[in-house]
This record gives sequence, structure tokens and C-alpha cells, in this order.
Amino acid sequence: MLSFVEEITLLLLDDTQGRFVDLPLSASDVVVAGAALMDLALADRIDSDLKELTVVDTKPTGDDILDDALGRIAQPGQELTVSAAVEGLAAYAEGYKEKALQRLVAHKILREENGRFLWVFPTRRYPVIDDTEQREVKARLRQVLLTDEIPDPRDVVLICLIDACNLLGLVLTPDEIKQTTARVEQLSKMDLIGQAVTRAVSEIRFIVKHATSPIF
Amino acid sequence: MEFAHEQAGDVVIVRLAGRLDSGAAHSAEDGFNGVLGGGTPRLAIDMTKLDYISSAGLRVLLVVAKKVQQAKGKVALFGLSPNVGEVFSVSGFDTIFSIVPDSAAAVAAVR
Repeated sequence: MLSFVEEITLLLLDDTQGRFVDLPLSASDVVVAGAALMDLALADRIDSDLKELTVVDTKPTGDDILDDALGRIAQPGQELTVSAAVEGLAAYAEGYKEKALQRLVAHKILREENGRFLWVFPTRRYPVIDDTEQREVKARLRQVLLTDEIPDPRDVVLICLIDACNLLGLVLTPDEIKQTTARVEQLSKMDLIGQAVTRAVSEIRFIVKHATSPIF
Repeated sequence: MEFAHEQAGDVVIVRLAGRLDSGAAHSAEDGFNGVLGGGTPRLAIDMTKLDYISSAGLRVLLVVAKKVQQAKGKVALFGLSPNVGEVFSVSGFDTIFSIVPDSAAAVAAVR
């Protein structure tokens, strides 16, 4: 089973282009940081409530991405809100994404292709060579989103992350997205770390939108 | 956290007390697995003495709700304290659980 960091990295790739989908860089960093925290929560290393995030076990998980994240938030005497932890880890998310890509290549889910843009600038693409995992996840999430089925905690996390990235179109048709607005809202609230990720991404989108709007 | 249960006819009343957090999540899971043995579960969960619930505790209850739904059973919660109720409201868990004021209403809701 893939970790959430690997899963969201895979979903952030446009599988026709092998490049990341159009998302403000800082937003994708927040989402990957959130995914790392959600992995740590399901590995029983952290817990959270409406006020704070607590490190409950500093024992390494054996996953270098998660252990790096755990080390950064497990500073002695550190009291963290979930939002502060998400934002703090976002600074390291680019490295987590890079590691996740290498793992997905090692799992033979992606292939790394190096090329040149205009014969000069080096480029890298990650075309999907085995989409079994993606297809299974999408089918499971469709089932949860389009019915009243109670999701399992992993599905809740993935729906939160996908919704935060505005990538529901990977799973649902445009008509289905319109029909499931209330259901998505219901499920996205169900993970407290997911709520912090959604808030942070919304703030980034707001800033990007207003920073690029004409003044007059 | 304390986990206790009693049979009331065809309904199992589970009583949770203390803190349902990451430290208690596994024992709570084991407790619920014990009462969700087989057949069609009818579960009333008494939260009157539950002081605190964290994300890990919510995940335990989500898995219970899923198992009950898969087995075509019913589950209702009662006696939520204001702070536990707030967590349910903010997380939207109040939309997937039937939450009623007392034991009699919970037993009636799952029958």
C-alpha cells in the first residue's frame, strides 16, 4: 500500500503529460506536508484535536520521509497547532515529493524521462507505466462519494487531499462534482488535519488570485 | 479509557469513560471488535463519561460505524458532553451518527 505522500504525489501528476498538474507550488507543498502528517497520524505517531497536534510516539517509522517529518515536529517542549505543523513541514515538502517520485519509479509505477526543452533546458517527466493503484483508488473514492457508504479513515484522508488540490475531476465527472458538493464537504471535514490543509490551501489560492488580479 | 458493555435485549450498550485518544484507540478497537462479533449489530454507545476525544478516537468510531453499516446494523450515540459534541460538530461526525439525548432514545433508535 502506498503512503499518502506517495499517493498524493502520484495523483498530482497529470498522467497524460507526466508532469505535475497546475497548482500553486506552495499549495502543493502544503498538501504534501498534510499528507505526511496524515501518514504519521495513521502510524500512531501523532494525534490531534481542535486545538493542537501532539507527538505521542517518537519511535521511527522506517519511512525516511515520515521520520524526517516526525523529527521536525517532535522538538522537545514544542507545542503545535495542526496548522502550524502543516505550514512548518511545507518548507520540506519539495524534498518529500522528490523522494516519493523516486519510490514510485522504484515500484515501477512511474518511469523517469529526462529530456531537453528547446534543446537547451533540462526537463524531467514521470509518465505512468502502471496505473493499477490509481485506478483502484479512484474506483474506491467514487464509490464513497457517489453513495452514502461510510468511508474508512484512509478514504477520508484522500478525499480531503484531493479536494484541497481541487482535483476532484480526477475521480468524478463535472456533473458528478456538482451533484456531490454537500457529500464532499461532509467527508472533507472528517479529518482534523485535512481541515487545516484545506484552510491553508484556500488561503494560498486567495493570495495567488489577488496577487495576480489587475488593480484597475 | 474505560470500555464496558452490557446487553439490553437485542441491543448492546457500550459505555466509554475517560479519554478516547491515541493511547486508548487500540484497546477501544479491540473492545468494539468483541461486541461486533456477528449477526446484525445494534449498538448504543454511552458517551456520558467520555471527557475527551481526539482524531484517533474519531477514527475508531468511524471504523465502528462502517462495520455496523456493512453488517446492516444500527448505531446511536448518547450523552455527549459539550466538548465532545463540539468535536463531532466541527468534524461533521454528527452527520453520520444518530445522536440522541439518552439511553432509552438510543435503544429505541437502533431497534
